[in-house]
Amino acid sequence: MRKKVFVLVLVGFVLFFAGCAQQPEEKPTTTTPAATPTGPKEETLYFGAPISLSGKFAKEGQMSLWGMQVAAQWINENGGIKVGNKVYKVEIKYYDDESKKESVQSLIERLATVDKVKFILAPYSSGLTMAAAPIAEKYGVLMNSHGGASDYIFEQGYYYVVQTLSPASKYQTGFLDMVKTLDPDAKRLALVYEDKEFSRAVHQAAKEYAEKLGFEIVYEKTYPAGTTDLSPILNELKAANPDVLIGGGHFADGQLLAQQLAELNINIKAISILVAPSLPAFYEALGTKAEGISAPAQWETGVKYSPEVAEKLGVEWYGPTQEEFIKMFKDLAGEDAEPSYHVAEAAAAVLSYAKAIEKAQSTDVDRVREAMNDLEFMCVYGMWSIDPETGKQVGHDMVIIQWQNEEKKIVWPESAANAKPCYPMPTWDEKAEGKTCGS
Amino acid sequence: MIAEQLAANIIYGLLLGGVYGLATMGLSLIFGVLRVVNVGHGAFIMVGAFTAFWMFTLYSIPPLASIVVAVIVGLAMGFVVFMTIIRRLLDAPELSTLLATFGIGVFIEELSKFFWGPDYVGYSWDIGGISLPFTELPFTKLYAFGSSIVIAALLYVWFSRTKLGKAIRAVVEDKEGAMVCGINVNMVYALSFAIGIALTVTSGVLVTLFTPVGINVYMGGDYTLKAFVIAVLGGLGSPWGAFYAGFIFGLLENGSYTLLGLIPGVEPFGLTRFVSFTALLLILLLKPTGLLGGE
Repeated sequence: MRKKVFVLVLVGFVLFFAGCAQQPEEKPTTTTPAATPTGPKEETLYFGAPISLSGKFAKEGQMSLWGMQVAAQWINENGGIKVGNKVYKVEIKYYDDESKKESVQSLIERLATVDKVKFILAPYSSGLTMAAAPIAEKYGVLMNSHGGASDYIFEQGYYYVVQTLSPASKYQTGFLDMVKTLDPDAKRLALVYEDKEFSRAVHQAAKEYAEKLGFEIVYEKTYPAGTTDLSPILNELKAANPDVLIGGGHFADGQLLAQQLAELNINIKAISILVAPSLPAFYEALGTKAEGISAPAQWETGVKYSPEVAEKLGVEWYGPTQEEFIKMFKDLAGEDAEPSYHVAEAAAAVLSYAKAIEKAQSTDVDRVREAMNDLEFMCVYGMWSIDPETGKQVGHDMVIIQWQNEEKKIVWPESAANAKPCYPMPTWDEKAEGKTCGS
Repeated sequence: MIAEQLAANIIYGLLLGGVYGLATMGLSLIFGVLRVVNVGHGAFIMVGAFTAFWMFTLYSIPPLASIVVAVIVGLAMGFVVFMTIIRRLLDAPELSTLLATFGIGVFIEELSKFFWGPDYVGYSWDIGGISLPFTELPFTKLYAFGSSIVIAALLYVWFSRTKLGKAIRAVVEDKEGAMVCGINVNMVYALSFAIGIALTVTSGVLVTLFTPVGINVYMGGDYTLKAFVIAVLGGLGSPWGAFYAGFIFGLLENGSYTLLGLIPGVEPFGLTRFVSFTALLLILLLKPTGLLGGE
């Protein structure tokens, strides 16, 4: 008896899951016969996405999803994607990947084979994107990375994997450009960064770039993850007497770096630290000590990218303006929510698909991928264009933020900036007396 | 040049070692008296760090005064945990207490995350420092070091002079004998556990004096690891051994940096941990019971 019940339950399960798997097949063509018979044919186009809605990237995953939905909504409200006499409405088909590599891989497979989705938005983080890439390549579906910055992903020879956010190698280069423009005499550069793959990639590339710009590397040291005392390195750094410092890795060590530079009274004209300064908690913890410290960011609320800027630069603008974007985001996420850069990244990835499909006048994967090669446009996130060879993002610039008078200001590049860079930053003693970048 | 940096690193190593020492004493005390390995050690350090943070940001109470709060919080937490969980497991196999303390640690961390969120926080208590020709010594770090010494000394006096302290030592030496002499062993256990946790929570406050940023609910993991190494180095179960071993560990970690830096082509910071752990291995090879361990 018990065995029978068990078998029944098992069969039920199998039927249930088979049913689930079948379900999306019913959908793709939702034609609207009620519309004028002579008008364009309306269809729904699905963009698939494994998204981390639980696990360690839950916060970033949710933000990315909101970004995709905002972009899809904007596309649909503004005439959809026009291909020939068809109009495609965009819908995001997503599954929770639990921030796990294994689920990402099976979800990509599922999206490609069961849901028959041809355009995939990559999962969040370099690690998960790296796991997803070979699967997308295998099934010949296009995958657009909006949260995987590592250059390594794009050096594997994958054809169907493209990137929307700036790669790691570009994180600190904008800051070096900025310093070079502000003060050509500031030549002594020091690097102090975490011994982890990401920060290593960022700073190795930055070092090469700095040498090209004519900087002299006077000090370079790494520290292991989880360090709670950087004084051995900083005591050495002090003797090297640098003009400019770049470094950091994650949040805790970046905060520690700034704190201990202050403690050891090491005055440097310009400092750029990865990750940490871009979060408000940085200023809350450090107070005026945070004044003048910069960080690279993919995007910040307040960037000046707009249809006017695009016109000035002679590129096409596509997508919502920043005001529209923030309003749509708040309608979706709640009045109190503030869009992080993940939202803009993901939105830009969706917009780039729409734009490329329209340019290719086809939903064929190969033709869209080809169209992407010389696609160039500006949206709320900034410029979008890729390197045809690797699929790496080359058009988008990192913005440099700087703490000025208790506020996070965008100081670089000039096309995005909403404030002038504060250079050289006040000394630690001046800051202790309450001097800020605004006073 | 090298000499100056070495001097600076040795001073920093000593200061850090003092904090490490206190952060390990609680672990050693609990093991010495109850034979319970507190795997959730780091979680209590985290509670101490947050105590200092909240006292400072909410009520502007300087972290030095938070030590008193931390002691009270720690005693209370230790007592509750002992009465509800540890007491039932005293005669259970080692694995049970290991799992139980691990569970307590995770529970405290997740509960803290629920209330305080997953963000990294920090505070700024800027009170200046001493300027030496080769480095700067912030007063906060000196205070952390000083408090650690004072607390360890007070504990020493309490153990050697008071009746309760003597009772604890008697239980460590011979449980049955102590019982025969009329010592309430369960009470001694409760007290030792509570004191051990109080020490650990207090060291959390000192940790933030040393590093006032990067306070996070999961910050304890690194300290748990270091505390275990230091505890073994000092001879598990010997709080004083742990205190001395803390200094050695701090010195090795920071002091070896300058010397390792002289070797071309190596990243000295990554190697300092290697050096500290190699030292641990060597000491255990030469003296398997640790520096001040008995039997």
